Order: sequence, then C-alpha cells, then structure tokens
Amino acid sequence: MPRLVFTLAVAVLAVVLGGELAPVDGQATSGEYKIGVLEPITGPLAFEGKRHVQGLEIVRDLINQRGGVMGKKLVLSMADATDPTAAATEANRLITREGVKIITGTFSSRLCGAASEVAARHDVIYWESSCVDPRFNKRGLKNVYRTEIDATGFGWYNIEFIAKHLAPRLNLKPNQIKVAFLSEDSSYGQGVTESARQRAKSEFGMQEVMLEYYNWQTLNDMTPTILKMKQLNPDVVHHIGFGNDAVLFWRQSKEQSFLFKALVHAGATGYGGTDFGKALGNDANGVFALLEPGPGFRLEALRPEGREIEKAFRDAVQKETGTYPFGAHQLAGSGLWLLKLVLDRAQSDDPEKFRAAVMSLDLPVGSMINGWGVKFSEIGQNANDRVQHYMLQWQNGQLVTVWPEEFTTLRAKWIPLGAWDQRK
Amino acid sequence: MDPARRLGPAQIGVLTQLVVATVLLGGIYALISVGLTLIFGIMRVVNFAHGEFLMLGMYLAFWAFVAFTADPYFVVVVAIPLFFVVGLVVYGLVMRGVIHASHNVQIFTTVGLSTVLQNVALVAWSGDFRYVRPWHLSTVLRAGSTIFNLTQVVASLIAVALTLTLVAFMKWTHAGRVMRATAQDRDAATLMGIDTDRVYRLTFAIGIAAVGAAGVLVAPLYSVYPTAGLQFVLLSYVVVVLGGLGDMLGAMIGSLIVAAVEVAGSYLFGAAWKEIFYFILFILVLGFRPAGLFGQRGAGTLGV
Repeated sequence: MPRLVFTLAVAVLAVVLGGELAPVDGQATSGEYKIGVLEPITGPLAFEGKRHVQGLEIVRDLINQRGGVMGKKLVLSMADATDPTAAATEANRLITREGVKIITGTFSSRLCGAASEVAARHDVIYWESSCVDPRFNKRGLKNVYRTEIDATGFGWYNIEFIAKHLAPRLNLKPNQIKVAFLSEDSSYGQGVTESARQRAKSEFGMQEVMLEYYNWQTLNDMTPTILKMKQLNPDVVHHIGFGNDAVLFWRQSKEQSFLFKALVHAGATGYGGTDFGKALGNDANGVFALLEPGPGFRLEALRPEGREIEKAFRDAVQKETGTYPFGAHQLAGSGLWLLKLVLDRAQSDDPEKFRAAVMSLDLPVGSMINGWGVKFSEIGQNANDRVQHYMLQWQNGQLVTVWPEEFTTLRAKWIPLGAWDQRK
Repeated sequence: MDPARRLGPAQIGVLTQLVVATVLLGGIYALISVGLTLIFGIMRVVNFAHGEFLMLGMYLAFWAFVAFTADPYFVVVVAIPLFFVVGLVVYGLVMRGVIHASHNVQIFTTVGLSTVLQNVALVAWSGDFRYVRPWHLSTVLRAGSTIFNLTQVVASLIAVALTLTLVAFMKWTHAGRVMRATAQDRDAATLMGIDTDRVYRLTFAIGIAAVGAAGVLVAPLYSVYPTAGLQFVLLSYVVVVLGGLGDMLGAMIGSLIVAAVEVAGSYLFGAAWKEIFYFILFILVLGFRPAGLFGQRGAGTLGV
C-alpha cells in the first residue's frame, strides 16, 4: 500500500521536523512578532553592517530564550541598505510588503536619515541603535528614537577624558593643553570634532592649535599634514579617523618621529576598529578610543539585571565569534535589548502607547548591556549621562577599557607617550 | 601669521621633506597609472575597472602574505604573468565584444566590470580592511633629517623602470611598432595586414599585468578592501589626461604634478583642498591643452 507508506513518511517527517523547529530552551512563546532590520550588508559599509547583523541575531536569540517580546517569538526581517537610496527603498519595502511596524538599524549616519524619513511617513516606529548624526532626531519626526548617544556626546566624553584624566597625569591645567583637531569629513567626524572643540574652549579654555578635515577615501599621504603639525607642537591630537587614514597617520607619524603626548579618538572606526591593531601590532600602543566597554570591564560595577544580560551577551558573542564583542555587536545588541524592554512595557506597537512606554523608562547606569541606563528626552534621544561610554586604549595588540576607572580593572599607560620605540 | 607657514631656516628641512613626499607619492601614482595609460593610448578605451584590478593585486599580496608569509617583492614576480593571463581572459570575455563599439558602450561595459569585481571581492573576502605587514614595512632611510619610506622608494623605482621598459618596448620592438601603428590609425593598420584584435589583446594584457603588479607593490602602504581601487582611480585619470592620453613619459610627469599639487595643497591649505586643486588643473588642461600638457601622437582618433 504505497499510499499508506507515503502518509506514514509524511507523518514521520512532520514529527521530526516539528521537533527540530520547536524552541530548544527558555520560556514558551506563542506566535511571532516581526520587526524590520536595515543594515548595509553589501557595499563599502558592509564590514561594520555585517557585525551589526551578527549582534542583532545574538540578542534576538537571547530575547527569545527569555520570553520573546510581548509573549511572542521575535523575528528579524533583514534588508540590505547599501546606500541612502537603498535604505529608503528597502524601508519602504519592509513597511509595505513585509508589514513591519518597527524598523531598527542602521550602522551609518549616511543611512539613518533617509530610512527614518520613510518610516515616519508611514507612521512606523524607527528605532536607531548606532547612527550618530546629531541631526537625526532634530527633524521633528515623531516616532524616531535613538538608543546610542549622538556624535556630540562622543565629543563631550572625549573632552571630559582629556580634562579630567589626561591633564592631571600630564601635570597640566586643562587651559594649558594644546589640542590639534584632525578629522575625516563625514557628518560623524564633524559632529564629534565640533562638539569637542566647543566644550574644550568654552568649558576648559584649552588651546586649539589646529583644525583640519579631509576625505578619508581619497587620502593617500599624511606627510604634509604631519609636517605641519610637528611645527605646531600639540600636546593632544584629537583625531577622528575612519579606516586607512588612521593607520596612515600613525605609521607616518612614526616615520617622521612626530612626538605628542596623547592621541584621542572616538568610535568603532579608524583607531577604534580591530583592523587598526592588526595593521600596526604593538606599534598601536597608547592610542585612546572612546567606545563601548572592552576587556577589563568590571561586571561587578553593574546592577544585578545589567550584570546578567551583559554576561549572557558577552558569552554568546564569544561563542559565536571567538572574541570579545565589538562595538558593532554592542550597539546593535543593546539597541535591540532596549527595544524588548520597551515593547514588554508597552505591550503594543501602537506608536502612542510605544512612545508612552519609552518616555516612562528610567533606568540608572549599569542596568543593561554595556552598563547603559535609559532616560529618553522628548525628541527620542537617550541621555548622554545614562549611555555610559568608556575610554579604551591599545595595549599590546588589544583595545582594553581604562576609563572611567570604577568600571575597569585595567589602567591607562604611556601618559605622556614616550619615544616611538619605547612604548612596550 | 600661522607659525607653520612662516618662511625661515627651519622651513628648509620641511621643504626638503615635502619635495621627497612629492616624488615618492608621484612614484606610486605613476606606478598605478602606467597600465591605464597604455590601455588608453593604444585601445582608446577608458578602463573604468582599472582600480578594481589594482584592488585584486592588493588582495593577491594579502592572501599570499597570509598563506605563505610571501613578501610582496616576491609575489610581484608571480603577479605579472598571472595578471597578464587575467588580462587575456577578461579581454576575451568582456572587452573583445565592445572594442569596436561606441565609447558609451565601452564605458558602460567597464563600469559594469568594475561593479562586478568590487562585489565579487566583497562576497568572497568580506568588506574588512586587511593589511599586509612585511618586515620591511615602515623601514625608513635617512639622509640628514630627511626621511624616505623604503616601500615607497621601491615602488617609485619600479614605476620608473616599468615606464622606461614600456617606452623602449613601444619604440624598438616589432610588437611595439605594431601597437603604435594601431593606435595611430586602426583602419590603416588593418589594411597593412596588422591583426588589430591581437594587438588589443596584448595591450590589454600588458596593461592589466602592470596594474596588478602595482597593486601588489602598494598593498603594504594602504589597507586592502573591496573598494580600495576607488582611492586611486580618479586621480589616475587626471594623471593620464595631464600626461597626454597615452604618453608614458607624460604620465610619469603628470603623476609628479598631481603629487606636487596634492602635497603643497595639503601643507599650505589643508588636506581637504588637494582635490579641488588637482581637478582645477584637470579642467584647465582639458580646456586649454586637450591633448595633454605634452601633446601626443595620433590624437586625431580622439577628436581632440
């Protein structure tokens, strides 16, 4: 009876596959809840975009092991936002074809603006985890939120570090410090640099000896800039680099024996990327980059609930990639986790109820992944002093957490930077 | 006045260093532009995928270094024949069909090829920045207080050698004469019994071999990533135009001019200005000397 055999086979298959698909562990969820994800998965921004996706997938699994969102299994619908045009079309597609009510993303400041315009037009919630363009939530769009601080926050933290930590260790008063500002010319670079300049001058009276912007994609030689800087003799170089430019500046500074006391950067690009260490090995020693926490980060400094999820997240990333989480993992991951907290509180994706839930969240520093807290402003921006940022330093091939000191077991070295061959 | 710009004895050291930076950077630009100049000069095709072949050369250096810790100076010996073959294959598959087509079709074809190569690299090797770090990277030679980066010195010397070899090849070999004849008048060359298809194939292969070798040689200086070629490709067009659209020695001098404009512009006005300056130069040359600063043979086929 071939018919019976067939039916049997189908039944067996159904049982086997059903078993495969059932949730392996954690609380039971019923049904699925789908959100849209926009990240650059191909194109020139893909190197970071793919790590964002990895971070999102890891936290999605952590969320689903912990009851999903609103009692449903969280599902991510991925779209490739190669450039601003693609970001806008893909946002449109996610909303009209996939029917999502919430979109999260996007690595780059080039993308978040275009994509969020589309979301706002459709009354869809845009939940940004990593673009840092200061203009992002100053456009009067109602359902636009950002979990990370903006570029001006990075500048704020950098000057905080220079004034409160570097100055005493250099035996200088903040107003005696000479700073050279050098930056790539994206909205990110300009946002950080301009806010840093402003705070350095108005609050601490630091001396600005140089300001220079450049396009990192066409920069092939830093020697002229370095020769100019050598004559201006800055104490601190505040350099926002993106990729090759950071390596080029550091390598050619070494070649030209350009000595200064410290270099401070912000963000996961340039000096803040692992590629910088790979390119330079121990020659990278001493560079500071403002980032999310890295090795040395003390779990004990966090609140219990923050400690639990931070540890689970760190272990999951370690298992998946074999490394400590990168900034891209941490930004995307913490953004998604915060979205879960909001959805669980709102129990709805209705924009009004969602907004009420966002505004009512008030969590101190140390409450979640990265040791962050939560307090959103009316324009949908998480607060500078809640989104705790950390100064990391390149020490023998690794970026380690060195400041604020209460959050780390490790300490900043090479202040001031010695001769190039003595930073070991 | 800004202390960095004040002229004085201390500036002489800086000035020397700036001149050295110009020559060394010019050397790199010349190395990268040689292949483009050749292909443009003979085939009259603007190869928009030039930067992507450079990128492939950089990846070759990277993977050879990762797999065998092979020094780029050794890899370059392998790269030349390898990229020659790549050139032959790409010519057969892509360029042959459009060689007699209009310039528009050729531009679309090479732009398409460029996009394909970038994305193949992205899919195959991801978008990560990669680095080649041979032991001699960052080795510097000193003459007084002036500093020379060894890798840049070698790249410049090879650029000079490559240019002179190609000039000699074009001038004194039979194949070179045939190539020049084809460049000057394709139809007349065909009538004289020259197999122009074969000339184009050879030209393309030599051009790609040159840029592949350039990619290997500059890999230690820059990061390797799928769109690395874009960093150089625009300025190599400027170089080719300044040099006279196909003139090898002209391209060499064009490279030095672009480098000088870049270095002086960066030092005096800031790095953001360098492109403004060399594109102004580009427009001026196109406007007043469309056949390039040094003129060129067979310019008639370009309609200039």
